[in-house]
Amino acid sequence: MGSLTALIIKEVKELIRDPKILIGVILMPLIIFPIMGSAISISQESVQRALISASFAIYNEDQGLVTDAFLEYLYANNTVVPLQAASLEEAIAAFQETNATTLLHIREGYSDNITRGLKGELKIYANLKSLSIAEAGTTDTLGGLVNIYSYVLSITKINTLLEQVGEAVDARNVRNPLTVDYASIIKGTVLEVAPSSIFSIIMSQSILLPVMMMVMLMFAIQMAATSIALEKEQKTLETLMTLPVGRMTILSGKLAGSIVVGVGGAISYMIGFSYYMTSAFSFAPEMTSMTTGDVGLGLEPIGMLLLGVNIFITLVSGLALAISLATFTDDVRSAQSLTGFLILPVILPAIILMFSDISMLPPTVQWILLAIPYTHSILASKAAFLGNYQLVIRSIAYIAGFTVAVLYIAARIFSTERIITSRFTSFSLRRLLRRR
Amino acid sequence: MELAIDAKDLVKNFGNVLALDKASFTVRDREIFGLIGPNGAGKTTALRILGTLIKPTSGTADVFGNDVVRNPEKIRGIISYLPEEAGAYQNLSGYEYLSFMAGFYVGDGDTADDMMKEAKLISGLGDRLGDRVKGYSQGMKRRLLLARALMMKPKLAILDEPTSGLDVVHAFHVRQMIKDYADTMGVTVLLSSHNMLEVEYLCHRVALINEGQIIAEGKPEELKEKYTAENLEQVFMEVTRLG
Ligand SMILES: Nc1ncnc2c1ncn2[C@@H]1O[C@H](COP(=O)(O)OP(=O)(O)OP(=O)(O)O)[C@@H](O)[C@H]1O
Ligand SMILES: [Mg+2]
Repeated sequence: MGSLTALIIKEVKELIRDPKILIGVILMPLIIFPIMGSAISISQESVQRALISASFAIYNEDQGLVTDAFLEYLYANNTVVPLQAASLEEAIAAFQETNATTLLHIREGYSDNITRGLKGELKIYANLKSLSIAEAGTTDTLGGLVNIYSYVLSITKINTLLEQVGEAVDARNVRNPLTVDYASIIKGTVLEVAPSSIFSIIMSQSILLPVMMMVMLMFAIQMAATSIALEKEQKTLETLMTLPVGRMTILSGKLAGSIVVGVGGAISYMIGFSYYMTSAFSFAPEMTSMTTGDVGLGLEPIGMLLLGVNIFITLVSGLALAISLATFTDDVRSAQSLTGFLILPVILPAIILMFSDISMLPPTVQWILLAIPYTHSILASKAAFLGNYQLVIRSIAYIAGFTVAVLYIAARIFSTERIITSRFTSFSLRRLLRRR
Repeated sequence: MELAIDAKDLVKNFGNVLALDKASFTVRDREIFGLIGPNGAGKTTALRILGTLIKPTSGTADVFGNDVVRNPEKIRGIISYLPEEAGAYQNLSGYEYLSFMAGFYVGDGDTADDMMKEAKLISGLGDRLGDRVKGYSQGMKRRLLLARALMMKPKLAILDEPTSGLDVVHAFHVRQMIKDYADTMGVTVLLSSHNMLEVEYLCHRVALINEGQIIAEGKPEELKEKYTAENLEQVFMEVTRLG
């Protein structure tokens, strides 16, 4: 077995058997996400059940044929609680005693108004008992019923009027004289799909990718920093440095070991996350009926390859950075607080680019973002989906340059005595920060 | 005869701390040599230079004819280094740790199996080698590490305070093992200690170090005679008083 293989195996064993890492990085996502997913789907189901079984109360002060027809429509398919009361105040008080969440108030003169061509006035009271999403839903249900009835009324009215003037026109066209169809052009191809539905597909991808990159990077950085700090804390690094094995081999072993565990963490994160997505949104099947491939945004093999290269060098740079920083510390705690500073340049571009495009930002923000190497990792992964390979390669070149620089620094640190002698404890770190 | 170690005028600065101040000493082949002195005297610094972990600010040191600055890779192939207060990988078993370490030395002489057999003997840990290092006591860890340092029968073993933190029984076992390996396997040993009595019992020759300087070097008996002292402790007090 080669020295490098032995070092990688040791690294992976040491990390994976650490209960903190095993639970935090590998098991947690597999447990937390499904729990979150089922929690959401349980609450969604209960909302739906609440909607189906929702009942509303009616307080009617009007008499007339039009009102009777309206009431018949309302009673037809719903659970209605009729209220008998002497006044509106009394009706509202009685309404609060019932299980109904909404009250429809039909004013006196409703029937009259409609026959005379005026607006029929209605009022809906919502009794907000729990301030939950389900309550908003039940209010919408009653409003929706009223809207449908209103539409039907208007069509009937238009039909009567059209007959009177003797025009043979469809009443629906009078009500809605214009209609719009949407199409989207992607990579030069015209697709008969609305841009909004394409965006909803892309959103899931473009949010997922930066999040995944970010999570993987954070895991790997934590991993590398912890493993170096552990070696320093227990002086195993000193032993390692006196073995007949090249310093570069030791550094590569550390990088590779952290990558293996970091990727493992990312995979379990993704498994957990996709489980979460499917279970949390299982009640909305239309969301999953189209894929990026259907709209011509699937990854071509070359895009896939570039995406892989991008992720790999991004990881290596993050790890080399973490290792370089961790070598200045003496124990795990200070290593983790020092590498904690790395979270900002990783998270910032991920969050900003999740919601906007770089070209939409003010120029100063653009420059700041573009100076951060991890911005380019995210830009490259987006561009890979859009088939803009020139941009992907340019971004990869930038990260690669940065990665080489960081690797060089890490290699320098590994080949000098600094890695043994630097004594940077959390105490001296605090002292240094205070002096600033 | 070729010298195992030839250190000349070693100086080491850490910022403005002078850890070694023109320290010179020699260790002969197959000898057990002790570097003794109080806390902060510069023992660990000297051993780290010879173990190729750090470079001297000035001065030279050869290990079996190889310069520590110019030929560190050559030296790493023939030595083993036991750091002071060191641990082993917590989540590996003692057995896994030893076989991981043995892997780096196969090819020049013993097979990994031979080394593992030696290591079992030296550590005296028996079946406990199958347990994770996490659960080892201080003494068990030290014995595991000593086994690691001696199992490949290096030409030179550099042991920084090999018996620190050990009780009488464990310290005795460790000293016995070091003596055995030097006598029967041809291993040269350079060790450090504050325990002058231990060194007197174990070492063929010693050097007394104080504030980065070697203040006396020779066989324990010679030194005792020279300073008319009953033991090395008295020699040390005498020398520092004169110096
Ligand atoms: N990495 C370092 N950075 C700064 N100063 C150091 C460093 N290593 C050692 N020193 C200083 O050099 C001097 C010698 O230290 P060294 O560790 O060699 O002593 P020692 O003889 O091994 O002591 P001990 O018996 O306590 O182990 C001390 O004053 C110590 O503070
Ligand atoms: Mg010391």
